[in-house]
Amino acid sequence: MSTEAVLDTPATGEAPPIPVRAAELEDPILEARSLVKRYGDIEAVAGLDLSIQPGEVYCLLGPNGAGKTTTIHLFLGFIEPDSGRVRVSGFDVAQNALDARRRLAYVPEQVMLYRNLSGLENLQYFAALGGRETLSSERLTEILVDVGLPLPAVGRRVAEYSKGMRQKVGIAIAVAKDAEALLLDEPTSGLDPKASREFSELIETLRGRGVAVLMATHDLFRAKESGTRIGIMRHGRLVTELSTGEIGHADLERIYLDHMQE
Amino acid sequence: MMLRTVLRNEWRLLRADRALALVLGVFALLFAYALSNGLAWVDFQEETLAAAREGNAERVGNLEAELQRIADGGQPSSPFRDPRSPSVLGGAPGAQTAVLDPGPLTALAVGQSDLLPYYYDVSIRTNESTFLQNGEIENPLNLLVGRFDLAFVVVYLLPLLILALSFNVLSGEREQGTLALTLAQPVSARGVVGAKLAFRAILVMGLALGVSLLGVLFSGGFGSPGRVALWCATVAAYALFWFTLAAWVNGLGRSSAWNATVLVGAWLLLVVVLPAGVNITAGLLHPLPSRVEMITAQREASNEAVNQRSELLARYLEDHPELAGGVAADEANRAALAWAATDAVNRRLEEVTSVHDERLGAQRTLVRRYRFLSPALLTQEALLDAAGTGDARFARFQSQVREFSERWQTFFVPAILTGELMSVDVLPTLPSFRFVDEQVQEVRARAVIPLAALGGLLVLVGAGAVVRLRRVTGP
Repeated sequence: MSTEAVLDTPATGEAPPIPVRAAELEDPILEARSLVKRYGDIEAVAGLDLSIQPGEVYCLLGPNGAGKTTTIHLFLGFIEPDSGRVRVSGFDVAQNALDARRRLAYVPEQVMLYRNLSGLENLQYFAALGGRETLSSERLTEILVDVGLPLPAVGRRVAEYSKGMRQKVGIAIAVAKDAEALLLDEPTSGLDPKASREFSELIETLRGRGVAVLMATHDLFRAKESGTRIGIMRHGRLVTELSTGEIGHADLERIYLDHMQE
Repeated sequence: MMLRTVLRNEWRLLRADRALALVLGVFALLFAYALSNGLAWVDFQEETLAAAREGNAERVGNLEAELQRIADGGQPSSPFRDPRSPSVLGGAPGAQTAVLDPGPLTALAVGQSDLLPYYYDVSIRTNESTFLQNGEIENPLNLLVGRFDLAFVVVYLLPLLILALSFNVLSGEREQGTLALTLAQPVSARGVVGAKLAFRAILVMGLALGVSLLGVLFSGGFGSPGRVALWCATVAAYALFWFTLAAWVNGLGRSSAWNATVLVGAWLLLVVVLPAGVNITAGLLHPLPSRVEMITAQREASNEAVNQRSELLARYLEDHPELAGGVAADEANRAALAWAATDAVNRRLEEVTSVHDERLGAQRTLVRRYRFLSPALLTQEALLDAAGTGDARFARFQSQVREFSERWQTFFVPAILTGELMSVDVLPTLPSFRFVDEQVQEVRARAVIPLAALGGLLVLVGAGAVVRLRRVTGP
């Protein structure tokens, strides 16, 4: 636990003002400051501070209800924080949600698509909505095949797809968008080991291109393998942050379980 | 760019969804059936009017031939139907048919043209009871429910098609899970819903306006472009009202089942319950006198008049001293006595029908006042007016027929009272009837109010929809 650092995150409080667009190039792609989100009496996110640089893969670990998905939804602007700020590539999500989303790609835990359309047609639609309407069908087919969808399935109706195949289309949508940041919510859920392995390779490629990745997952193995940093969340707080290069799988599991028992 | 993307995707979804294609197909058939019904009605009306005109020409032709024969030294075929007598020439044998040709867009909206008379045989016997009778016999059930025409389909069924296509435009995306991926893109829920509804609006309005224009084409109504434009604007505004209502309900963020229930409830309230409620209220507050009462009054007046013909003639001449010179108020001038009796009956009838007209006017005023409650009432009014089958055009026709009837009586009554005989030379000088149709400017001026009210409702609901949809930021 050489690099473990327990973060001092205030539960509440006003965030300092942030300019709409940050000036410095070295600014983080994904940034949260003093982020709070409550549902009634429950604090789903309780004063989260997070900063993810280009080429960094940040894995959020934690039990169900820890606030991982809420954090991702806050970055997407799906929900408004009660206090604090969220920025994507310098754009304040609350003020410039569309500019922020233009720079984000997202793969939900359950990728749901238009069942009556083919995987390719779904990809064409979401890629075009994401601003990549000029991508040819051939290129989109390549992307689908690259993420592991069998070529014969590309033109078949999604209603005939397995969950894993839908997940691959979701990943293809994210890849096609060529975004600066990638938000992944349990992305390997439903993928077989081979596809999960391919997914890890894909993340590595994206990381190499300078994409900032925030991945919420329960999968300690995948987090250790793909992540550059790991944050463990509990009750909406980031209780521990680790650098994956300096810990082993066993350490990670032990640290994680220790925090869950507290 | 986003609009084009969503439109293309919606087209794909429509092609892939057989149920939607089926719904659209069924409605296309309903539209086609409604149009064929309207065209059939116009054919029937034109045939009826042609027969009425033919009968009129034949009647006048026979009279002319007999008058000519008498002028050449012949005798009348019957002493009781001597065409030289002004009460024969101005009465039923010489009656002139006053005709209201079908409105320019009757094929689209039959309106009350199957209920209200569109031709009258005007003679010196024409009185208020003439205007309360319909010479054509029609299936009462048809009259009760109205014709299945395009206006009916637009007012009653088009909203159902719009709601069937739009009730889950956002909730469906949420329920099938695609909203998360959609809103993760740089698009707003408002923009996506707007684009999805635009696609449906193109389909629905394309269908409604396309069939309407086909109807105009088949019935030769392009001669009235102002009316066609008014029809199209009304259909578009009414359709947009239902689309924006669907958008607003979707913006509330409830389930598709909830949306469907609320929207069908709104349809029931705005299209069925409120219009029926307004009509029932009008009938209850201002009940029309019964026809039996009117017929009884007519008979009583008629009997009384026959018994007191001499007195009535004397009274009539007192009222019209300019006609008194040369009138013999005795039994020998039967025609003069008969006219005095007719006039007395007419006056009595006017008293009774004035009550009827007054209450009918009160009913219409009430309906006009409360039509703003229902976009369906506003739309129906504007559509019938555009088609030329609304109240206004019929009222104009009746008013011109009344005026013609007065001219007809003014022409013949002095001759009846003096016992003057007429010759064939009088025929070209007889009053004639030609309906002077309303100008499109008048129609437009009337349509401004319902259209503006419809536009107001549209803006109100649209603003509600925008406010609600702006709050939708996530799945």
